[in-house]
Amino acid sequence: MGVQDQLQIGVRHESDRVILALDGELDMATAEQLQHAIEGLDGQAMVVLDLEQLQFIDSTGLRSVLAVLERCRDRGQQFAVTRGSQQVQRLLGVTGVAKHLRIIDTADEVFA
Amino acid sequence: MTDQTLPTQDVAVELLVEAGAVLASSLDLPTTMNQVARLTVPRLADLCVIDLRDEDGSIREVAVASADPQIAGPLEAMRREYPLDPAGEHPVARVISSGEPELLAQMTSALMHSFAQGSEHARFMIEHRYHSAMVAPLLARGRTLGALSVLRLGESDSYELGDLDLVCELARRAAMAIDNARLFSQLQRVEQRLEAVLVNVAEAITLTDEGGQMVFANQAAAELLGASTPAELMSASPGTIMPRFLVLDERGQELDLQSMPGRRLFTGESVEPLLVRNIVRATGEERWLNVRSSPVIDPDSGHILYAVNVFENITEVKRAQLAESFMAEASRVLASSMDYTETLTQIARLAVPQIADWCAVDVLGESGKIERVAVHHSDPSQVELAERIDRGYHLDPDEPLGVPEVIRSGRARIYTDIPPDALAAYAHDNAHLALLEAIGATAVIIVPLAAPSRTLGAITLVSSESLRRLSQADLALAERLGRRAGTAVESARLYTERTRIATMLEAALLPESLPEIPGVDLASLYRAAGELNDVGGDFYDVLAFGEDRWLLVIGDVCGKGPRAAAVTALARHTLRTAAMLDLTPAAMLDTLHRALRHQPSGSDLCTVCLVTLDLGGEGARLTVTLAGHPPPLIIDADGGSRQVGKPGTLLGVLDPIEISEVDVEIEPGQTLLLYTDGLPEADRAGAQLGEQELFETDAERPDPSLVGLLTQIERAALRRANGRLRDDIAMLALRLD
Repeated sequence: MGVQDQLQIGVRHESDRVILALDGELDMATAEQLQHAIEGLDGQAMVVLDLEQLQFIDSTGLRSVLAVLERCRDRGQQFAVTRGSQQVQRLLGVTGVAKHLRIIDTADEVFA
Repeated sequence: MTDQTLPTQDVAVELLVEAGAVLASSLDLPTTMNQVARLTVPRLADLCVIDLRDEDGSIREVAVASADPQIAGPLEAMRREYPLDPAGEHPVARVISSGEPELLAQMTSALMHSFAQGSEHARFMIEHRYHSAMVAPLLARGRTLGALSVLRLGESDSYELGDLDLVCELARRAAMAIDNARLFSQLQRVEQRLEAVLVNVAEAITLTDEGGQMVFANQAAAELLGASTPAELMSASPGTIMPRFLVLDERGQELDLQSMPGRRLFTGESVEPLLVRNIVRATGEERWLNVRSSPVIDPDSGHILYAVNVFENITEVKRAQLAESFMAEASRVLASSMDYTETLTQIARLAVPQIADWCAVDVLGESGKIERVAVHHSDPSQVELAERIDRGYHLDPDEPLGVPEVIRSGRARIYTDIPPDALAAYAHDNAHLALLEAIGATAVIIVPLAAPSRTLGAITLVSSESLRRLSQADLALAERLGRRAGTAVESARLYTERTRIATMLEAALLPESLPEIPGVDLASLYRAAGELNDVGGDFYDVLAFGEDRWLLVIGDVCGKGPRAAAVTALARHTLRTAAMLDLTPAAMLDTLHRALRHQPSGSDLCTVCLVTLDLGGEGARLTVTLAGHPPPLIIDADGGSRQVGKPGTLLGVLDPIEISEVDVEIEPGQTLLLYTDGLPEADRAGAQLGEQELFETDAERPDPSLVGLLTQIERAALRRANGRLRDDIAMLALRLD
């Protein structure tokens, strides 16, 4: 099975945000794909990582998510993530990363 | 203007007989035509002209005979200047186009004017007193090739109808002769072209009869069969040429002449092309030939007269094929194991006897000495001979020739002719020489084991008792083998080296042994997930932390490989140093966090769990401090478990970090288990670590010994992961007595 099968990233542009939907596993083998996907997405006011279909994340995957967070911060973009699977949520909790993320219910959630 | 009587029957016959003789005497057309023309003069005519039709349809005069010598020249000139119009009224033109003879019994002035090719022509005819003429077509195989004209001048008798037969007959014979001459010259041209083709064609072609006598051979055949010219081949008697060669089929079985297609087809069977391996006995040269034979059948009797044999020399193609399959097999062998002594031994066996009679492999050792790792010959007693040589006469790396020289220079060598005195010079002493002579090498190839970086050894190939000698053609394959094997040896060595380094590194990252703590049982377990070469990011430690105080550390650096190993070392040593400075656990982790943030590039994530154990005073007091790390478990004797500690921020990337130290109660008999995330995430389901994950079955009781418990937990994890762990597992456990 190729690495492409382990993670699929769907990119969707909306008027105020770009949404990267992750489907599969974000780990040592696939984390690089997220780095590539985020490149060039500088124009949008907000970047959303839709983790709804993310089944698994390890520390390397976490690092790539944090890299996106930092990148958005550097570019003055807002950053938010949706909830992922139990394992994803647990890792975000255990590592204390959840507190540093804006977690939203759905990717298209409208903000006041 | 002689007075002629008409020829009698005898004279007519005589004329025809003479004409026949003339026509049979030569194929040279101009000569014979002139001779025929002359025969008619003066017996039959005063003037005779033979005209032929050329391929383009024009009419050309080819012979003139005249009683009066003065006429011939001017007539030829006239014909040249005023050639006859093939579509015109001139009798010759008409006869040529109609194919019918014409009699001009009386040629009046008016008549002559009617067909003259211009006034000059008319004047010529009148001046020379053209009187009577017959024009007969030159007919052969249904085609009119030209016309034969006979003329009487002046007062001679006129021709009559009865005379036409004789002239026609004469013309018919002349035509036949012309036709034959033309056919013959066509045949000659075709033969020349065919010869030119056959001579130059690359394939060797021979024509043999039933007895095996070679009736025809082209130059390529001569060269193939060791003759300098085809004539030499054809003059040899059957059975004297073929013994010069050893002829084998594809499998290596000897073939006799009777099984060659060129012989077999005389029995009437249809024969398939045969692939043969032909070795020249005198030189050991080997050729692969595809032999195809077809019969030449006599159309009348249906007998097979000859066999046409075509020998296609496919030596290059065949050798390339054999080389490819050999290299494929050799590559497979070399890739099969990291133990290169073993694989090189297999390679030596593979090469014999396919490539050579002997194969030996030498490898340059660490110390610079040359070690023989393999030697093979199809006969084991011969191998023993070689071993005696090796034992008695070690290869000196500084020797000027042979394996040492090839290793030094990195260049392949081939010796196809080993003069006795060269062998004597190479031998160390007489005993050595005797052993070398016993091997009886006819040719030697030595190629370097060429790894990309340097030469690691050499492969030696020797032909001895085989008829086929090693030659330049084998050198390319041997060099390829040397490169492939050299690369394989280098890879194997590097792999082994990496494994050694990884093992050393790992040892540096994990404690050699756990300290003895009175009243406390300690155990650890480390299980790497992948290849030995990938040093992981897990670390653990048990450190003295003041009087009667201990610090248990377990941590996990994100990633693998050298970078992660460096960060792991940094983490471990930063914590050890901080421990010595008597900081609180939270402060220690803050120190590490700042150290990691100060690292030059990239973010180096690290999770850590610190457990303090204070044995001073009454009982044991524990605290747990977490920085992004999974919470430790307290496991009861009956297998129940609960998590302890409060989640804290992982180190090295986010600011500010939130970390708190939590007091934890533990009873004697309970186990405190610290672990890294490879354990709960062994099966990627990522469930919380609880009873279901710790033990394989609900019924399983925890092992009473601490080490046994860790092993149980490890086994359960492996089971969940179906034998393939996602990440390394590290466990550190303590139990109060």
